Amino acid sequence: MQANTVQTNESAPSPAQVSSQRDGPILEMRNIVKRFPGVLALEDVNFDVRRGEVHALIGENGAGKSTLMKILSGVYTRDGGEIIFKGQPVHFSNPRQAQDAGITTIYQELNLIPQLSVTENIFLGSELERGPLLDWAEMHNQSRKLLARLHLKIDPRVRVGTLGVAQQQMVEVAKALHHQSDLIIMDEPTSALSLNEINDLFTIIQQLKSEGVSVIYISHHLEETFVVSDRITVLRDGRHVATRATRELNIDSLISLMVGRQLSEKFPKEVTARGPEVLRVEGLTQGDRLIDISFSAYAGEVLGIAGLVGAGRTELVRAIFGADPIDRGAIYVNGQRVSIRSPRDAIRHGIGLLTEDRKQQGLVLKLTTRDNITLAVLRNLTSGPMTNGRKEASVAQRYIQNLSIKTSGLHQMVMDLSGGNQQKVVLSKWLATEPRVLIFDEPTRGIDVGAKVEIYRLMNQLAKQGVAILMISSELPEILGMSDRIMVISQGRVAGFLDRNEATQEKIMQYAANVETNQSGNGNNS
Amino acid sequence: MSDVVVEAESKPGLMQQERRRSIIRTLTGNGALIALIVLVVFLLIVAPAFRSPTSLLLIGLEASFIGIVSAGQTFVILTSGIDLSVEAIVAFSGVVAAILISGSNQSGGQVAFGMPSYLAIPIAIIIGTLIGLLQGVIITAFNINPFIVTLGFLSILTGTALVVTQGSPIFIKNDPLIDFLGGFVSLGSLKIPIPLLIMLLLYFAIWVILRHTKLGRYVYAIGGNETAARLSGINVNLTKVIVYGISGLFASISGMLILGRLQGGSYNYGSGYTLLSVAAVVIGGTALTGGTGGIWGTLIGALIIRIVQAGLVYLDFPSNAQQIVTGVIIVLAVGLDVARRGEVRWLNQLFRRQP
Repeated sequence: MQANTVQTNESAPSPAQVSSQRDGPILEMRNIVKRFPGVLALEDVNFDVRRGEVHALIGENGAGKSTLMKILSGVYTRDGGEIIFKGQPVHFSNPRQAQDAGITTIYQELNLIPQLSVTENIFLGSELERGPLLDWAEMHNQSRKLLARLHLKIDPRVRVGTLGVAQQQMVEVAKALHHQSDLIIMDEPTSALSLNEINDLFTIIQQLKSEGVSVIYISHHLEETFVVSDRITVLRDGRHVATRATRELNIDSLISLMVGRQLSEKFPKEVTARGPEVLRVEGLTQGDRLIDISFSAYAGEVLGIAGLVGAGRTELVRAIFGADPIDRGAIYVNGQRVSIRSPRDAIRHGIGLLTEDRKQQGLVLKLTTRDNITLAVLRNLTSGPMTNGRKEASVAQRYIQNLSIKTSGLHQMVMDLSGGNQQKVVLSKWLATEPRVLIFDEPTRGIDVGAKVEIYRLMNQLAKQGVAILMISSELPEILGMSDRIMVISQGRVAGFLDRNEATQEKIMQYAANVETNQSGNGNNS
Repeated sequence: MSDVVVEAESKPGLMQQERRRSIIRTLTGNGALIALIVLVVFLLIVAPAFRSPTSLLLIGLEASFIGIVSAGQTFVILTSGIDLSVEAIVAFSGVVAAILISGSNQSGGQVAFGMPSYLAIPIAIIIGTLIGLLQGVIITAFNINPFIVTLGFLSILTGTALVVTQGSPIFIKNDPLIDFLGGFVSLGSLKIPIPLLIMLLLYFAIWVILRHTKLGRYVYAIGGNETAARLSGINVNLTKVIVYGISGLFASISGMLILGRLQGGSYNYGSGYTLLSVAAVVIGGTALTGGTGGIWGTLIGALIIRIVQAGLVYLDFPSNAQQIVTGVIIVLAVGLDVARRGEVRWLNQLFRRQP
């Protein structure tokens, strides 16, 4: 399983070094402590990685995984403890040092420059020169070899921005290999990948293993860790909880280690009796991205919107919400035809949209919790021309309590909150508008298991209150678990509808990939 | 401003700790205020002539012309925009008022409109505001970078004023309203200059707007994350148009006060105010990227600039070299500010504990 060969380039290791290398941990982090103002992020954490091992690092949001990795890669400085890498104690004060030592991080957001070519990105910061000029021929040559090693068919001269996300990630792996990394940290590598691409990634990881490279694999997709990792370490609340061989664990025991309790059900769906039609979309068309889309949404119903990445789901909800213009189509709210030309119009008609990307589109990070929660309803919280602080506070407080948002106060900047709590703030903003239709675009992306369940329970509550819910999700279990009906979008069109009791992962994928054209019910099926 | 009930899981006393820490942060974070205090103390020590309330009030007077322009600029910069046309609006509005009252300098004889000042001045202010609104409309309707639009108007307005005045100031003789604008209000033994009074009133008004109105909140939201603001239902374009209109409004108010001071309008009254107003905003702690900062910081920035200028004059510093000093201050102020925010990594490393 693990490659225990001692491959060292150090000259004449001391007996102590040899004995520690014989066991093969390429990395040992001992008693790591990290403090931030007001919070102890890591307390006495131990973590080790063996050579050629894939070691998954699991934990809820706020458990400390990112912090631990940022300390390892030189972004943060530790307040206590020691790190031993390849047998030597190390202290990295910046990411460059970590990279030079052989540790590379591949971030979820990817650190590539889209306007530059693959080669330029790979050689960024380590360009080859011939005399005073850059040696492009040699750089392209070496890039080609790296890409070939990974069995990738990418032309290194191509601009990275034109590649798909999956391929961009591969470029990052090639970059890591170029720096002769012995340890690669992958932070949420699969969040934007399709099933096929995920399998390709796993193949590459196996390849890295066979070359003796170690991988630290951070992911919220617990099922993946069982496929790809050799060992799993669980962190909770800044402490080390357990490190086990993967084969000794299953999903339930892993979750209970993560949250400290058994989660009886992952999808606590409560089916509500369906009410009247709240939203009807007819013939929605936008260029060639959305073609003649029609459907209805009902009070108390969760309509799941499934489809492949790029099928047009986000474009659809943005068009309904008025964020993008449409060419043709009609929207009806509660039976009345409405004209929606901007988000303001949508909000006025009772439609809300929780976007995919809360940091870029949902929150104003420099503003406080209170300000973010009241942002969409400020015009109702005034006395005369001025805003009323007390009204604002009571609204914000209500949601902080109801949604159990962990914050030190109304006036904490949301940028300091964890991902799950930030998502709750965005949700509060929309709940405050008292919507009739609430659209969720990937509501639980990048959120830990505990917070996910809370959001599902909130959806149940909303449905009971008669809100119509539209939920875009790329996680098929989530779609199957929480939807009453599923609408599958494929290449800009409605590919089909499925009821909760007849839906399966396979049927959804069939519609999504347009393999079979079954009887596609119209939007008003019951 | 009640605080929420903290979750039971948090450690007790954490809120107290945090509150104490944030107070310290505010005090030390306001480097501009400290710099101002240091400067004032230094000036009082070094220049005995300034040790009278009258002198200090005069410094306030001198600061008010740029201060008012800077207040409008603060609004614009908070939305992560910029208004480079302000010095031209200052000059242009003054010229418009002067012409309306006294007539132009164009060859062909002085055509005196003879409009009374109580009409001419509001008209000039309205025109200045409209110019600002127009810029806002162009910026939002065509999605052009504000830097470019306002730079263009800077040239257009200065050039127009130059043509219309033929390069010479248009003077106004003996107008009571204009004299009033350039005069004082007596408070006991103190003579408070009208411009200073107006500046303080305007700053207070802006503080209220920024803190306690929807417009103010929307300004911060747009500067912080324009996409999120728009998707939250805020009318971003309208807010931006209003903000540039406010900048034009304030610039023309300043132009009227200069009219009162210099008893005339000229194409170059207000020259240099663009850069100084941006400097005042930045020194005061508002980031050029918008979303954070406030109006009182700008006041401190304007005062710092003015006090340094006053000190240099007193020390017989060659006037040609004063610009150099102003530039140095700007660079230092921005550098200090960024370092304070913890955004200069190598400085952070220097002061960090070595484990």
